[in-house]
Amino acid sequence: MFEKTKKWLTGNPDLAFAMLLACCVYGYFAITNEYFMTGRTTFAIMERFAVLGLVGLALTLCIIAGEIDLSIGSNAALAAVIVVRFTDSLGAPTALLIAVLISTSIGIIQGYFIAYLRIRAIVLTVGTLMLLRGVALFVAEEKTVMLTDFRIPDFITTKYFYYFSPASILVILVFMLVGFFMSYTRYGREIYAIGGARKEALASGIDLKRPMIIVFAISGFCAGLGGVIIGLRSGTAQALGLQYLLLAGTVAAFIGGVSILGGRGGVIGAIIGTLTVNFLNTGLVFNVTPAFLVQLYLGILLVIVIMFQTGSRIFDQSQKRRQLLSDVDLRRLDLLSRKHKYQKPP
Amino acid sequence: MSTGSSISGGSAKLNFLDKIIRDYSGLAIIMVAIFLFVFLYGMITAPNFLTIFNLKTIVRDAALVGIMAIGLTFVTLSGNFFLLSMKETAALCIIAFATGMSYGWGFELSFLFTMCFALVAGIFQGALIGLGGNPIVVTLGAAGVLYGLGAYWSDNLVVSYRRPHGAEWLGTGSFLGLPNITVAFILIAISAELVLRKTNFGRQVYLIGANRAAGKATGHENFSMAIKVCTIASVCSAFVAIAFSAQVSSAQVNYFSSEFGSSGDMTIMVIATVMVGGNSIMGGYGSTMRSSLGAIFISSIDNMMVLHGFNSGPRVFAVGLMIVFSIIVFALVRRGSRTEE
Repeated sequence: MFEKTKKWLTGNPDLAFAMLLACCVYGYFAITNEYFMTGRTTFAIMERFAVLGLVGLALTLCIIAGEIDLSIGSNAALAAVIVVRFTDSLGAPTALLIAVLISTSIGIIQGYFIAYLRIRAIVLTVGTLMLLRGVALFVAEEKTVMLTDFRIPDFITTKYFYYFSPASILVILVFMLVGFFMSYTRYGREIYAIGGARKEALASGIDLKRPMIIVFAISGFCAGLGGVIIGLRSGTAQALGLQYLLLAGTVAAFIGGVSILGGRGGVIGAIIGTLTVNFLNTGLVFNVTPAFLVQLYLGILLVIVIMFQTGSRIFDQSQKRRQLLSDVDLRRLDLLSRKHKYQKPP
Repeated sequence: MSTGSSISGGSAKLNFLDKIIRDYSGLAIIMVAIFLFVFLYGMITAPNFLTIFNLKTIVRDAALVGIMAIGLTFVTLSGNFFLLSMKETAALCIIAFATGMSYGWGFELSFLFTMCFALVAGIFQGALIGLGGNPIVVTLGAAGVLYGLGAYWSDNLVVSYRRPHGAEWLGTGSFLGLPNITVAFILIAISAELVLRKTNFGRQVYLIGANRAAGKATGHENFSMAIKVCTIASVCSAFVAIAFSAQVSSAQVNYFSSEFGSSGDMTIMVIATVMVGGNSIMGGYGSTMRSSLGAIFISSIDNMMVLHGFNSGPRVFAVGLMIVFSIIVFALVRRGSRTEE
C-alpha cells in the first residue's frame, strides 16, 4: 500500500507538489487560528468550493486542451444576472435551466469558432469577455438585480451531512461525471491529445472541432452553473461582478498541476488546487485580511507555481540535453573503438 | 488547411468571384461592408458628430488607451501575446506618482520614482516570460501582485495632492489648441512607428515575432526581447497613469478598474484596441500605427453611441462585438497564411 502510494506520487510530481502546498496552507491556518479546524469552517470551505471548484475545473479542462478561456467570469456573471432576473417570474428551476443552457451554448459557439477559424482561444475569448459583459449589462438594465423571494437562497445553503449543501453536492457530482468522462471515454482522451500534441493528433485523424466544442461546452456549463449558484445563493447579481473568478480559477488550475503546454493535469488536481485556494481565502478571512489584499496573495501563489513549473521545465530540458550529449559521446567512443578494431587487421 | 491549395497552377480558369469565395475573403468583405454601412449611417445621423470640436474630443479620449496600446503592440508583435497586467501596472504607478506628489517631491522626481516601479514590473514579468512562462498566466499572476501592492500601499484610499502642482501642464494644459495629452499621444505614436520601422531593435521585434526559431538561430533570444518589450509596455502604462493622475490631482488603485472613460475594463480595452487595429496576435505582423488608428476608431464608435444616447450596456456590447468581428474578419482574410498559425 505504502509502496504503491509512493510510486504514484513520484509518478506525478505536480500532484505531489499540489498536495504538499495544500497541506502547508491548511496547516498554517489550522495552527495560527483555533477556529479553522472546525466543522463549520469546513462547511464554509465547501460552500466556496461549489463555485470556485467549477471555475477551476473549467479552466483545468481548457488548459489541458492547450487553450485558455478568458471569458469565464463574464459568462458566469451573465448566468447569474439571468437567473436572478427571471427567478421571480419563471420560478427557480426554469430560470436555472435557461441560464445554464445559454452559458453552455455560448461555450459551444466559442468552441466551434475557435476550431473553425483555427485561432487561439485567448484571441476570441478576450472579445467574448467584453461582448458577454455588454449582454449582461443589457439583461440587468445596468442595475444590480435582486431576488424578492429569499426561500431559494435559504434552500441552497441548507446543511446536509454536516459539511455539504445542495450546491456543493451538485458540484461534487459534476466533478465525478467530468472525471469519468476525461479518464474513461474516447472524447476525454481526444481532449488530452489535442492539448499535448495538437499536430500529431490532427495528423492521426482527430477532428479538431469535436474536442474543442466539448471542452468549451463544459467550460461554459461550469461557468454558468457557478454563476447560477452565486446568484441564487446571494440573491443578487451584478453585470460587472465576478471578475475575480478568472484569477482564482487559474491559480487553482495551475496548483492542480496543469501545464500551459497542455495535455497534463486532471480532475483530482483541480480539486486539490481549488481546495488550496479556498483554504487560503477562508484563512485570510479568519485573519481579518482586507478583501483587496486577497488578490495579492493569490497573485503571489500563482507566480510561485509558475516559477516552480518553469524551473522544473528548464531543469528537465537541461537534463535531457545532458543525457543526449552523453549518449552522443558514448556512441562516438563506440564508433571510434570499432573503427580502430576494424583498421587493425590489415 | 481546408482551403486547399490550387494545384491547377497557372491555368487560372477560376474567375475572380470564385477565388474570393474560395478564400473566404468574400465573407469578410461582406461583413466589413455591413459594418461600414452601419458606421457611416450612425456617423451622419448623430448630432454634432462631424465637428472639429468633436474630432478633438475623440482623439483626446483615444489618447490614454492609445498610448497603452502602443506599448502593448510591441509585446504582441514580438509574439508574446499580450499582458493582462496593463491596468494593474498603471494602478501601482498612479499610487506611486500621487504619493510622490503629495510628499512635495515635484514633478520630475515623482516621474522618475514612478518609472522605477514600471521598470521593475516590466523586467520582472519579461524575465518570467522570457524563461518560458506563458505570458497570459504570468501576467495574470503579476496583475494580482501589482494591484495588491498598490492597494496595500495606499490602504485602498484616495491619495490626493493640492491643485497648483508641477504636473498640471501634462494633465490640463494645451499646446496649439490641442490638449497636451493628445500631443503626447501623437508624438509617442510617431516615435514608436519610427523605432519599429527604422531601427535594429524594431526589426528584431518583427523577426522574433514572425519566427522564433529563426530568431534563436541568428542569436536573437526571446529572453532579452521579452524583457525589453515588457518594459516598454510597462513604461507606457506608467506614463498613462501619470497623465491621468495629473488630470484629476489624485489617485486610487481602482481608477483603471472598471468603466474607465468609455466602457469596460482598461486592460481589455487596450487589448481590444490592439486587435481591432488588425495586428496579428501570433506576432510578426502589424504596426503601432494600426493600434493608434484602432484606438481612434474605437473611441469614435463610442463617441457616436454616446451622441445617440446609448447606455453603457450597448456600448460595452458594441466594443465586444467589434473585437469579435475584427478577429473573425482577420482570421478569414489570413486563413491559410502562416501569420495566424
